[in-house]
Amino acid sequence: MLKQFLQKTLKKIPTVPEESSTEEIDKKQSNLNASLKKNLDLFKEIYQYPLNTDIQFREFLLGNRKALLIFIDTITKTDIVEDHILTPLLASEDTNKKIEDSIPVKSIITKTVVKDILIEISKGYIALFIDGEEKAYLFSAPNFEGRNIEKSENETVVKGPKEAFNELSSTNISMIRKKIKSESLVVESSVISQRSNNDVYILYLSDVVNDKMLSNVRERLKKIEVDTVQTLGLLEQRIEERPKSIFPTILFTERPDRAASYIEDGYIVLLMDNSPASLVLPATFWSFYHSSEDHYLRFPYGNFTRMLRLLALFMTLFISAAYVAIVTYHAEMIPPDLLLAIAATREKVPFPAAVEVLMMELAFELIREAGLRVPSPIGPTIGIVGALILGQAAVQANIVSPIVVIVVALGGLSSFAIGDLSMNFAVRMSRFLLLLAASFFGIYGIAALFTVGIFYLVSIKSFGVPYLSPLTPKYVSSKDTIFRRLLQNEFFRPGYVKPKDIKKQ
Amino acid sequence: MQQSQEKIGIREYIAIITIMIATKVTDDTPILFFDTLDTAGWIAPFFNALIVVIPLIFLMKVVTRYNKGLIEIIDGLFGKYLGFLLLFIIWFISISALIIDTAIYTDIIGTMYFIRTPTIIIYGLIMAVCAYGAKRGFAQIGSAAWVVYPYLQVSLLFVFILTLSDSNLSFIHPIFGPGPIEIVKESTFTLSIYADFLYLFLIVPFIKDIHVFKKGTWAGFIIVIINVGIAFLLFLLLFDYQSLKMVNYPFHEVIRYIDTGFLTNMESFFLPFWAIASFIRFTVYIWINALLFGHLFKIKQFEYVIPSIATLIVFIGILPESPTYAIFELRKTLFQFTTPIFFFLPILIWIVAKLKGDFSNDDNNN
Amino acid sequence: MMTTITKSISLFAMLVFLSGCWDQVELEGRAYVVGLGMDKIDDETNQIRITFLISNPEFGSLAEGGGGDEPPQEIISFVANDMESAKDVANMVVAKQVTYDLLRVLFISEEFAKDPEFIRWMYDLTKSKEIRRDIRLVVSKEKASTFIQNINPLLESRPHEYFEKIFERLNATGIAPTSDLLKFFRITESDADLFLSIYGTSLQKNNSGSVQNPLNITAGEFQYEGMTSPIQFAGAAVFKEGKMIGTITTRETRLAYLLNPTLPIKDILTAYPDPFSEDHKLAIRVEKQGKVKTKMDLKKEVPSIDVSLPLAVEVLSNHSMVDYPKEAEKREQLKKHLDDEITKVFEDFIKKTQEEYGTEPFGWSLEARKHFRTLPEFEKFDWMKTYPNMDINVDISIRFSNFGRQGEVPKLEELRD
Repeated sequence: MLKQFLQKTLKKIPTVPEESSTEEIDKKQSNLNASLKKNLDLFKEIYQYPLNTDIQFREFLLGNRKALLIFIDTITKTDIVEDHILTPLLASEDTNKKIEDSIPVKSIITKTVVKDILIEISKGYIALFIDGEEKAYLFSAPNFEGRNIEKSENETVVKGPKEAFNELSSTNISMIRKKIKSESLVVESSVISQRSNNDVYILYLSDVVNDKMLSNVRERLKKIEVDTVQTLGLLEQRIEERPKSIFPTILFTERPDRAASYIEDGYIVLLMDNSPASLVLPATFWSFYHSSEDHYLRFPYGNFTRMLRLLALFMTLFISAAYVAIVTYHAEMIPPDLLLAIAATREKVPFPAAVEVLMMELAFELIREAGLRVPSPIGPTIGIVGALILGQAAVQANIVSPIVVIVVALGGLSSFAIGDLSMNFAVRMSRFLLLLAASFFGIYGIAALFTVGIFYLVSIKSFGVPYLSPLTPKYVSSKDTIFRRLLQNEFFRPGYVKPKDIKKQ
Repeated sequence: MQQSQEKIGIREYIAIITIMIATKVTDDTPILFFDTLDTAGWIAPFFNALIVVIPLIFLMKVVTRYNKGLIEIIDGLFGKYLGFLLLFIIWFISISALIIDTAIYTDIIGTMYFIRTPTIIIYGLIMAVCAYGAKRGFAQIGSAAWVVYPYLQVSLLFVFILTLSDSNLSFIHPIFGPGPIEIVKESTFTLSIYADFLYLFLIVPFIKDIHVFKKGTWAGFIIVIINVGIAFLLFLLLFDYQSLKMVNYPFHEVIRYIDTGFLTNMESFFLPFWAIASFIRFTVYIWINALLFGHLFKIKQFEYVIPSIATLIVFIGILPESPTYAIFELRKTLFQFTTPIFFFLPILIWIVAKLKGDFSNDDNNN
Repeated sequence: MMTTITKSISLFAMLVFLSGCWDQVELEGRAYVVGLGMDKIDDETNQIRITFLISNPEFGSLAEGGGGDEPPQEIISFVANDMESAKDVANMVVAKQVTYDLLRVLFISEEFAKDPEFIRWMYDLTKSKEIRRDIRLVVSKEKASTFIQNINPLLESRPHEYFEKIFERLNATGIAPTSDLLKFFRITESDADLFLSIYGTSLQKNNSGSVQNPLNITAGEFQYEGMTSPIQFAGAAVFKEGKMIGTITTRETRLAYLLNPTLPIKDILTAYPDPFSEDHKLAIRVEKQGKVKTKMDLKKEVPSIDVSLPLAVEVLSNHSMVDYPKEAEKREQLKKHLDDEITKVFEDFIKKTQEEYGTEPFGWSLEARKHFRTLPEFEKFDWMKTYPNMDINVDISIRFSNFGRQGEVPKLEELRD
C-alpha cells in the first residue's frame, strides 16, 4: 500500500511551462509547394537562415526554370555538388531530359513531404527543387567526419583480427560484410527516435535467424518513443528486459569479428552511428564469459585460458568474502602456522577483519575508477601511487594487515581477467554483497547468497533465451560453455536462438 | 509467474531427485538405521530399495497409463471427498516432514558450526533462501539443481575418497549385524527413507514427458541408492558401529575428522556444498508442498503462498526444545508412520485403477 | 524509493559491521590452546585440574610490529569443573577468548588415566564443538601440569610445530603408537581390544650404572645429556575399557605395529644379538612384507590363532665382520637365528598380553569379527574372556633384502695383520 502510494507520488510528472509548437509541426507535415519561391521561404524559415551558418541555399537556372539546391555543407561532399550536380545541370541543354538521366550520382530519390526531405538533408543528402515541381530530388553525398578504423582497445587479442568498430555505421557494416560474404546478410535500418532521427541497423542472416526473435527485436525497437537515442549504450538500456538487474542481458562488443561470428550463429546484431561497438542479442551468461581469442587459439590453449578465466571469476567473487568468513568464523580451517601468522599480523590492526577488507576493497575500486578517469599522461603514476605506496603505507601504519593486501590485490587482479565490462561490474558488485554475507554469516552466508544468486541467474532471460542455456535448460548446441570443444566437434549453432538451420558443418 | 509452466528435462529431474533424497545421508537418518542394525546398517538402504521397487512399479504403471500427475489421478480415481482426504494426508505428511527436516538442519548448523547464533536467525535464513528459490518456479529450481549438482556430487565423492583412506574394512564384520531376520524386519520400518519418491509422482506434469519421467525416476533411484549405500558403508568403516551409534550427525563428524595434506580441518570447506544442497532440497520440498496446498484449497497461483508456508515452518520448527533429541524422536515416529502409507497407497491406487477398468485397453499397448 | 532502500541497506550493513555477530570472533581476539592437560585432584571426583598450553602467535613473527621478545607460550593451570567452562574461567587470567581450535594434543597424567572416573571426563570432550577426534592423546608419567610446564624445546620453539614434528617422527619410527581420540573412543566402545597411547615424561630416571638398551625402554629411561628439552616420549600406555592398566616398551610398541593389520606398514630398526659374536649386536631393519595373515579357528574348544608374518630384513651393521654376501651358509645360520629370536620376542609379548592384560592391542578382535555372521554370536563369544586362553602361534618368514649399502666388509684378520 505504502509502496504504491510512494510510487504514485514520485512518478508524477512535474508541470513545466512549454511553448506550443503545433504550427511548426504542421508546416513540416505539409507537402511541397509547386512554387519554388514558397518552398525556399519555408525552408529558410525552418532552418533559421541566415542564423544557421552551414546550411546552403544555391539558386540557379535550369534551362529556363529556376532551381534550388539545399544541403548542409559540413556533412556533404561539396565536390559532388560542384562536379556532379551543378556542372551537368548547368551544361545540360536538353531541358526535357529527366534529372535522373543527367546527374551522375549513385542514388537519387524523390520526396514530397517537407518532413521527409528535412530528414534526408540531415543525413547528408543534397536536395534539388525545381520550380513547378511538387517534389524534391535528393542526391546522396554524405560526408560525416569520423575516426579511421583503429585497433580494438577494450577487447584485445593476441591472435586474431585487430580492427575495431568505429563511430561510422557504414564502416562498421562494411567490416561485417567483409567477413560474411553472403547474399543472405540483411542490414535493416529503422529510425528509433523522434527528434534526432537516430538510425539503428539490424544485421542478421535471413536464412538462419529465427523470425519470431527478429520480430521481437523489431517490436522492442519500435516501442522506444523518445526524442533521442544517441549511442548503443543508451539503446541497450531501452530494450533490455530487466533494467535493474545486476547481470547484463545484451552483449556489447567492439570487435567486428566477434559480431560477425555471432551473426553466423543466428544471433542479431545492432549497429548505430556514433557507437564504436555493436550489440549482440540475445546474450547468455556464456557470451560474457567467453572471449573471441578462445576460439582463435588452439584447442588446449583456448581451454587453458578458459580455465584461468573461471578461476579468476571465482577468485574475484569469493576470495575476500572467504577470507573474512574464515578469519572471523572458521578459524580452525586455517593450518596452524598460517593461523598464527595471520593472528600475529592482525594483533595491532584496530579494525575488525570485515571492515579492514571492505576498506581495502573500496580503496582498490577507487584507484581503479580514478585510474580510468585521469588524463593519460599521469595514468601510470596513479597505479604506482595507489597500489604500492598506499598498500605499503597502510601495512606499515598497522591499518591493514599484509595478508589483506594480498587478498584484495589478488581479487582485484583476477577481476581484470573478466573481459566484458558489464559482467565485470556484475562480478565486482556481487563481490561486495558476498563480503557482506560473509561478515554476517561466514561461509554459510556465502553459500546462502550463492544459492540465491544461482536461482536468480537461472530465472533471467534475454529475449526469451534462458541465461544459462545451453547448460540448463539443455538445447542442441556445440556445448561451448565453460570449456570449448574441438572445432571439428562443434557441429551445431546454439539451439536456444532457434535458428532455421542448426547444422554448421 | 508465467515461467513456472515450463517443463524440465531429464538432467534437471535427476539432479532434483538426487539432491532431494541423497542429501538425507548428511543428517541423522543414518543413525535411525545403525541404532538397530549395527554393522548391517549399510545393507538396509540396498535392501530397502529392493522393497521400494514394488510400490514404485505400481505407481509408475498408473502414472504412465493416465499420463497425468498423481494429484489428478487421485482426484479422478477417488472422487472429490476421498481424493481430498488422501491428498490432505499426503500434504500433511509432507509438511510435517518438512518442518522436522528443516528443524534438524537448523540444529546441525546450530550445534556443529554456529553455536552462538540464535536458532531463529539460522532457521529464518534457510527458509528465506528456500522461499525465494521456490517462488522462481519449478523449471528454475530444476535448472539451479542441475547447475550445482555436479559440484555437489564431486565434493561428496571427495569426502568418500578421503574417508576411505582412513577407514578400516574389518568394521564391516559381522556382516549380518543383529541377524538376517532383524535386517528384514528393521528395513521394512525404515522404508520411508525412499518415501520421497512418492512426491515425485506429484510433479509429473512438470516433467517434459512421461518417458523422461520414467527414465529419470529410475536413474535417479539408482544414483540415490548408490550414494546412500556408499555413504552408510563409509560411516561404518570410519567409526565402527558402536561409536557411530553415539554420533548425532555422522556426516558432519566425518568431515571434521578427515584431512588432506596440510589442511587438517576441512569441515568448513565442505560446509558450503552441503548448505547449497540443503537449500535446494528444501526449495523443492516447499514448492511441492505449496503445489499440493494450492491444489487442495483451490489456489491457482499457488506460488504466492510459499512465503507464508515458509514463515509457518519457521515458527512451528523452533518450538521443540533440545531439538537434537526431541526431533529425532519425532522423526522416528514419522518414519514409522509414513512407511505403511508409502507402501500401501500406491498399491491401493493401482487396485482402484484396475477395478475401474482403466487398464483393460492398456495391455495391447505394452 | 531507491534512496529509502539504499539508506536502509547501508544502515543494516553498518549495524552488521558494528555489532559483530553471534559467532563472530576476530582471530587476534583468541587465545589458542595447543595442548590441554588433565590431572586428577586427590579426593575429589567433581573437579579436575586443567592446564592450558597457549601458543603466542606473535612469537617469531617477522611481520610489521611483531611480538618482540615475548615468549612462545603461556601456561596456566587451574581447577575446573569441565572443559567448556574452563575456557571462561581462564579469562580471569588470560586476556583473550580461549579457544580449542588449534588443540592438537591432550595430556593426561598417568594417575588420572588409571582412575575409574577418567572415562567420564573423556566423554566431556565429545560435547565441545571445537575439540576434534583427530587430537592426539598423550599419557604423562608425572602430573600433566608439571609435564606441560617442562615443555620447552629449544629449536622448534613454537609448541604446535614441536608437537607436529615429534609425533610424526615417533610414528614413523614406531617408538610410540598413533593415538587419536577417534581411536580411543572406538576401541573403548567396541570393548574388545587394548588402546595404546603415546607415553611421555619430563623426568629422566636416574639409574646410573646399568646401561639400558635404548630400543627396549619406556619414557624416562632414555639417558641423554646436553642442552635440550627434558621431554621424552617412548613406549605406550595401555588402556583397557577406557582405563589405563600399564605401559609397554618401545620394542613392544613396534611389535604391536608389526602384528596389527590395521596399522600402516612401517620399517622398523632394531637390534638383536649377533649369532657369530657374543659381544656384538646386529642392527637390522625389519619391514612388513605384504599383509599379516591371521588364521583363526574360533569354533574349537581352545580357539587358536595362527599369525604368519612375512618380514624383509636388512642387516645394517655387521660388527662381527662376517662376509654374508659370499657365504650362503652363514646367511642361513643368521636367518635361523633371527627367526628364533624374533619369534621368541613375539611370543613373549603375546604371552604378556594374555596373562597381564587379558586382551591384545593388535586389532585381532576386528579380524575375529570376520568369523561371525551376526553380532549376537560375536557377543556370545566374548573376545575379552576368550583371548587369555587362546592358543596363539606366530610364524615368521624372513627374507633378506640386502646387507646395507656396501655389502662386503674386509676380513678383520687381514686388516690387523
